[in-house]
Order: sequence, then structure tokens, then C-alpha cells
Amino acid sequence: MSERNITYLTDVSLITCIVQRGLGDVIVKAAREAGAQGATVYYAKGSGVRERLGALGVAVEVEKEVVNLVVSKEQQDLVFNSAYLAGNLDTPGMGFMYVTPLEKAATYIPQEVIQRLQEAG
Amino acid sequence: MGPNYRYGDYQRETTIERNEISYNNLTPKLEQDEQGNVKPYSPPPVKLRSVDVFKLLKPYISVRFLDQLKAVVPLAIYLALFQFFVLRQLVQDSFSITAGLFAVCIGLMFFMEGLKLGLMPFGEVIGNTLPKKSPLPVVLLIAFMLGIGVTFAEPAIGALKQAGQIVSVERAPYLYALLNDWSGILVLVVGGGVGLAAILGTLRFLYGWSLKPMVYMSLAPALVLTIYASGNPELSKILGLAWDCGAVTTGPVTVPLVLSLGIGIAAAAGKGDSGLSGFGIVTLASIFPIIGVLILSLVLAATVTPAEIIEAAKLAAASAPTGPAPWYESSPGGEVILGIRAILPLVLFLYLVLRYLLKEQVKNAGEITYGITLTIVGMCIFNLGLTYGLSALGEQSGSLVPASFIEIKMMMGDMVTNYGPIYSTVVGLILSLGFAWVLGFGATLAEPALNALGATVENLTNGVFKKQTLMMAVSIGVAFGLAIGLAKLIFELPLQWLLIPGYGLGIVLTYFSTEEFVNVAWDSAGVTTGPITVPLVLAMGLGFGNAVDALEGFGILSMASICPILSVLITGLWVRFRSNAQTKAATQAGSTSPDKEVQAI
Repeated sequence: MSERNITYLTDVSLITCIVQRGLGDVIVKAAREAGAQGATVYYAKGSGVRERLGALGVAVEVEKEVVNLVVSKEQQDLVFNSAYLAGNLDTPGMGFMYVTPLEKAATYIPQEVIQRLQEAG
Repeated sequence: MGPNYRYGDYQRETTIERNEISYNNLTPKLEQDEQGNVKPYSPPPVKLRSVDVFKLLKPYISVRFLDQLKAVVPLAIYLALFQFFVLRQLVQDSFSITAGLFAVCIGLMFFMEGLKLGLMPFGEVIGNTLPKKSPLPVVLLIAFMLGIGVTFAEPAIGALKQAGQIVSVERAPYLYALLNDWSGILVLVVGGGVGLAAILGTLRFLYGWSLKPMVYMSLAPALVLTIYASGNPELSKILGLAWDCGAVTTGPVTVPLVLSLGIGIAAAAGKGDSGLSGFGIVTLASIFPIIGVLILSLVLAATVTPAEIIEAAKLAAASAPTGPAPWYESSPGGEVILGIRAILPLVLFLYLVLRYLLKEQVKNAGEITYGITLTIVGMCIFNLGLTYGLSALGEQSGSLVPASFIEIKMMMGDMVTNYGPIYSTVVGLILSLGFAWVLGFGATLAEPALNALGATVENLTNGVFKKQTLMMAVSIGVAFGLAIGLAKLIFELPLQWLLIPGYGLGIVLTYFSTEEFVNVAWDSAGVTTGPITVPLVLAMGLGFGNAVDALEGFGILSMASICPILSVLITGLWVRFRSNAQTKAATQAGSTSPDKEVQAI
């Protein structure tokens, strides 16, 4: 049996962005352009500002898309800003986003990347 | 490698203004009463600047408007270009037609949004609670009445009534009578058919019946009645209308409302797990109205003779007031009345069922009221757009296309001029049929409901039947349907010659197909006939029929229904044949993998 090992990634942050259904793609595109590796999108229902907007609340979808972006600590603010601006989150009812520091993460890391990092020390 | 930046440098250069606020300062400070209990907090309404209102409404409106625009504009451009380059005629009244098409987009946008906010919640609540609180007969009765209600609310039904004004009373008296004097009863009978389909669909949801025997049993009387009616020269002119009615009813109101009711009932009975249970209702909802209309025309034929109808029509025309019609009959008053009359009874019925039978409160009353208002306003605007935009454009194109191979009379104001033929007969015929083919193909591919159906089918068959395959199959089917329908008008083929072999072949293919493909194929016929295709094709057929001096212009839609059924069934058999062949080859090579057998449906 071959030896298996895990490489932990540190300095990882999770950016979560909750936007109206159908508007998640813009966020994902902006985040990728700002260097994010990928995104996970899932569907949810939300409430909050919709009820407080009165008659204008109909312009806000109850159905939400939650975009999860795992980024490095260095990228974090840049991706956060791009996503915020791309999603027009400076408009009421457009969405909400936050950053969570992650203790560690793990995924497949190509052998040559690990080697290169080890050689660089 | 690109140049490297230190992130700190970027931050210094960036122009975004950054502030930090503690969230503590934003959360409300709760007050306590004398006993030390926390008073419930209700947040104040948000005050918006006008720029925020604009930013909020812009994506909301533009997305929905663009959805409709994407369906209408390509069709309109295609028709206009064809008219200009091939028929060498400018579009007449282009200004009012453009305005009408714009109204169609706005109207459909309002209507769809209103449907989502206002009517669908009703359907879901009733579907969820009705079976819990009422015995099965009551549930079935409500389903039946809902079927009638949704038929009246269907936007395309208005197009059918409008089509009645073009029919000549001398040449097809029964058709004229059905569409004018008896139009109310006609819609009622069509609605009854949809209602019956809703009942059977509900039972199918509950007991998981197979669709195949239902298709055989409902097609048999339809075909027998068709053969009987085709023997009578007066009645045979109604066949086109009867079979077209089936396509007209299965539109954007009927399909989702009846489906949400059915799915609700199935879920409440604990039988909603089969992914395929959603299919089939649409099929029945398009076959039963055909039977209904055929029976109605038999009743009509038994009560009045053609001579009496012509007499009555002449009398009505002579005694008609020559002055301006009352406001509620002339445009735009008529369209508004039509719109309100279509939606309000349905809403009232749903409300009464909810309030008095189920004793449920209406949740989100404000939003539902807003939704219903939007539906009604949208329906009125859509009706206006139908008159001035879609129907006008369709009729114009349809009546001009024959000019490519025969001489037609054109009305220019009060002058009648002869126009055409522009090309030799053969080239002109090929051009006309090609025109219908491309129109059908393009219009169907743009239909949003087809996209949704395709995605569902791909999921259900684990990717064996690709979404693209289905969309292509249906679009090509509709394209051939329109072309055959047009050929029917040109060569004056009797419709029964096309329908009976077509559906006969459909039955044979159904027998050999698996349950999944039967469901999908028969439903794809209903999916193709949306609120834009139906009025356009109806008006085009009638205009074309008038220009080539055919008896009536109906029947094109029914061809556009049967052809996709056949094309999907054939594609389904082919897909199965191919995957079977693959499995066989794999078995012979001795390398059968279990997952391959799973894929071979």
C-alpha cells in the first residue's frame, strides 16, 4: 500500500457573497478576474431588507445565490472589493458579503508545485 | 510572468473609498419594559435615494424585458427582412407594428411577473392543502373548474377570437359561427377539455398510471370524430380549428398552474417522488379540447343549417350600427375588457376556494394583489400588442408570401392592385416553404419552455438524451410542421389526410417507445406553442389562406404539434437503438461494464 499524505493549506480565507438569484455569475466572473481560483454557488432563500423596502421589495428576489470563494489571505481584499463592486452591493437589496478566516484547507496539489515550493524553501 | 505588485501598493493606488464601521453601532438597541422583558423590535422602513431606486429597479426590469425582447425581436426582424429582400415589399404600418411588438414585450413581461407573484402562490397553496382538507371528488371538481378558468386566462385564446373576424361566412359558415356567435361556448368547451385533462392528470399523479393507454384512448375518439367530420363537406372545414385549439390551450398559464396543482396533490399524497409524474398532463390538455370542439361542431351542425348562419350573419351585418362602435368594443377599450375578463374570474375562483373551502388566509396579501394587478395590466397591454403588432405582422407576411409564386390582390388604401408573381412557380414554392421552415425552427429554438424541458430530460435520462438533441428534434419537428401546414394551404390538401396518418404513425411509434420518451415526446408538442408563436402563426396562416384563396387558414398549428411528437419519438428510438448497439458490441467484446447497462435506457 502506497503511503498517503495530506498537505495543509494555511492563510486561507472564505469569502461568502449572498446575491439575488441569477446575479451570482457576475460575482464569480469578477472574482476570477481578481485571481480567485474557483467558486461554489448554491441556492437559498433570504429575508431581511426585502420586507423593509415596502413596495419596492418586489424588485428583490426571495431566491438567493450564495457564492463561496476560497482565496488566499493576500488576495482576500482585492477579490472582496472586485466582487463588491461587480455585484453592485452598494445598492439596497442587492446582497451581503463577508470574509471568514479559515484555519486550514486541503485539496489536490500537483507534485511539481510542492517540489518547487520545497526547493524555494 | 506579469509584473509583480505588492498588495500594499495596490491598496494605496486604489480609488475606492474605504471606511470601517463597527457592526455594534448598526444593530438595534433593544428596549425593556417594566418587567424587564425585551420589547419586540420592528425595523423601520428603509429610506431610499432616487438613485438607489433606479439602481434597484434597473436590473429587475431590464432582465425581464430583455427575456421577452429576445423572443420577439429575432422573429420580427426575420419577417421584416424576408418581406423586404425576398418579397420586395416594405412593411406597411411599420410604426404601429413596432409599437405593437413593443407592447407585446411589455405586456408579457408584466404578465409573467404577475403570474409568478400573484397566481402561482395561489396554485401552490391550493395544491398543497386541498387534498388534506377535502375528499377526492371535491379535489377533482376543483381541478376541473381550474382547468376551465385557466383556459379563459390563456393569452393565445384571444388570438383565436380575433382570427374569427377574418373567416368568410359564405365559404365556411360553421367555422364562422363557432368563432363568432358561439365563441363563448367554444372557449368553454375547450376549457372543459382542459378541466377533464386536469382531472385525469390528478388521478395519474395519485395512482402513477402509464400515459400510453391514455394516449391511445383519447386519440381514438378524436380520430374517429375527425374521420366522421371529414365525410361532411361543411363540417370538414372545422377540422383545422378543432386540432389547432389543442395547441392554443397549452400556454404559459395552463401548464404551470395545472402542474403546480397536480404536483401539490401528489406531494400531499406522498406520491410525488417520480421525476416523470410532471409530464403527460400537457398532452391530455391538448387532446381533450380537440374532442370537445369536434363534438361541439356536431351539436352546432344539428341545431342550425349553414344557410341559417349566412342569413343571420347578413342580417347582423346589415343591422350593425354604422357609427363608431361603443367604447367597450372598439380598440383599445375592447382589449382592456378582454384582459380583465380573462384574469379576474380565475383569481376570484382561486380566492373563493382558498378562503371558504380551505379556510386559509392569503399570505403576503399585498404582494399577491400587486401580482394580480400586474397580470391584468400585462394581459391588457399584451392584447393591444397582439392586435397592432403580432397579428398585424403575421397577417401581412402571410398574405404577401404567396406573391412569390402566384398573382395576388393587394389592398393599398382603397385601391386594389395586382402584385406578383415575383419568381417562377417552383422557386416561389420552395421559397415559401423554406420561409415557413426557418420560421418554425427559429421560433421554437427561442422558446424558453423548451430549454427547461430539455434540461429536465437530460437529467432524467442521465445524460443519454442530450438537451441539445431534444431541442433540435423539437425545432426540426415544428419547422417541418409549419412547412407541411403551409403546403396544406397551397395545395388545399384536406387536413384529415395529414392528421390521420400522422397520429397513426405517432401511435405506432408510441407503442414501441419506452414510457420516458412517450411522456417527453407528447408533451413537447404543447411546449412549442407559446404566447408569441401561436398568434403569429395563426395570423400568418389566416393571411396566407386568404391570399391563396384557401377555405380557411387553420391547421398549421396542429401540424406544428404532431410533427415534433413524431420527431422526438423517432429520435428517442434512435438513441435507444444506438445505445443498445453499443451495449451489444461491448458484450460481444466481453467487456460489459455495469454502468453501461444502466445508461442504455
